[in-house]
Amino acid sequence: MVDAIVWASIGISLAVFLSVIGAALGISIAAPAIAAAGTERPEIVSKSLIATILAEALAIYGLVVGLLSIFKLPAAGAAALSSDSGFRLFFGGTIMGVASIAAGFGIGTSGGALASATAEKPELFSRVVVPLILAEALAIYAFVAALLLVLQA
Amino acid sequence: MPAETLVHILRDNYTEAKVRGKKSFLLERQQLYSLAEFRTQTEILGFLADGPYGPELSKLQESSSPVEVERAVRMSFARSVKNLISTAKGGVKQFLVEYNRRFDAYDLAALVLYKSQGKSWEEYLATRLPLGIMNEKELHRLYSVEDLETLTSVVGDEDLAARLEGIKLEGLTPDKASLVRDIFNGWGEERFYGFISEKLGGRDKKSCLPIVGSSIDLLNLSIMLRSKLIGISDIQTHLVPIQWKLDRKAIIQLASSEDLALALDRLAGLRYYRKFLSGARQRYEETKSLSFLELFIRMHMLELSKEILLGFPYTMGIELAFLVLKENEARNLAAVVSGVGAGLKPEQIRPLVAA
Repeated sequence: MVDAIVWASIGISLAVFLSVIGAALGISIAAPAIAAAGTERPEIVSKSLIATILAEALAIYGLVVGLLSIFKLPAAGAAALSSDSGFRLFFGGTIMGVASIAAGFGIGTSGGALASATAEKPELFSRVVVPLILAEALAIYAFVAALLLVLQA
Repeated sequence: MPAETLVHILRDNYTEAKVRGKKSFLLERQQLYSLAEFRTQTEILGFLADGPYGPELSKLQESSSPVEVERAVRMSFARSVKNLISTAKGGVKQFLVEYNRRFDAYDLAALVLYKSQGKSWEEYLATRLPLGIMNEKELHRLYSVEDLETLTSVVGDEDLAARLEGIKLEGLTPDKASLVRDIFNGWGEERFYGFISEKLGGRDKKSCLPIVGSSIDLLNLSIMLRSKLIGISDIQTHLVPIQWKLDRKAIIQLASSEDLALALDRLAGLRYYRKFLSGARQRYEETKSLSFLELFIRMHMLELSKEILLGFPYTMGIELAFLVLKENEARNLAAVVSGVGAGLKPEQIRPLVAA
């Protein structure tokens, strides 16, 4: 039988690691398109950078979930973590990590499309930014669920 | 999600965003019409100086001739193509390199035209775009060739040689020279079509074939009509052996038309091309020339390209459609600059613009 603390540690690792992957995915998809759009229309770069900022936020969500989970771990020599708490921390971290990958892909593709669209028609920015925000919202849903799980652990 | 779409999203988004950015600077129809109203070339240069043509146009003097301005405009197009090739990766890069190879056919076609008009190598070189795979040295050698057989044997394509059989370089009339140009251009498109149908798949192929297929169809039409005009009987030997929407039946029907007028009337019955070709006979009777065909071809390509650019964004069709629009813009600008330079009125210049 695997100890609850192992489950919790795996959850923490997944929260941080997968969120970082999600953020990296989002940035690596959106940033080349932003850079290319900037070579043609330098004035849109600062606005388009919102995609990379939102992608970076995914890593922060993962870090927050990870840190809060770490604070829930018992200190060395203290009473053992209950299996119930261990599973909550595991699933909290997993939800955050997996959702970050999905949101990262969404942010990357919609951020790349935003850069392309605003390079062609800068006046479209306020409308094409909506899918980007909706993609970010996916990660926020997971963040809320993960926080509730972690805080109840 | 298909693998090719994923590749476009992950690897080609730099090139695709660049294309979208470049597209935003293309001149609209109204802007081209406004340029046609300018009285001097200097005013046009002033208008274009801040746009994508700036780097090339800034090198010109006030006293530059319309030919020099035209060349500068075309050089800007060449820079766009090279720029896209240098930024692209993988399959898109290979696709753009193949697109670039089409210019070999244009080079050879122009070479034949210039030679038939008795123009010098320097005059030919001054109008040539630095695109295509063949270099200047190779073309210079070909410029001294005196017959089409040798020219085609150097290119190394037996099909092209067969299509040019019976046509002599010496004493080439303007109509016959245009026919040879169309045959060379058709050969270039055929190679590009071959690449697309063999190497591309899925949405990439689906988005690119209509442009290249229509281009071949319309070049075949042009070859048939010019052959009728010249009085060549064995028309089918000169055609590109690829059909897109111009099927075999239509080709036989057009080829068997007794005269050019009947062939032009039959064009109106071609369902896919009716929109552009329904007024062909009237245009021919007004101008007594088939040069309007080139404008019709460009209009059709423009429409297809605009449709592709509004469609699914992750295909190679986006790059091709942009390049069609850019090439067309360069030709439009060249027409406006030469028109204004020649002192034509705006209403005489506007029909030369495909927009």
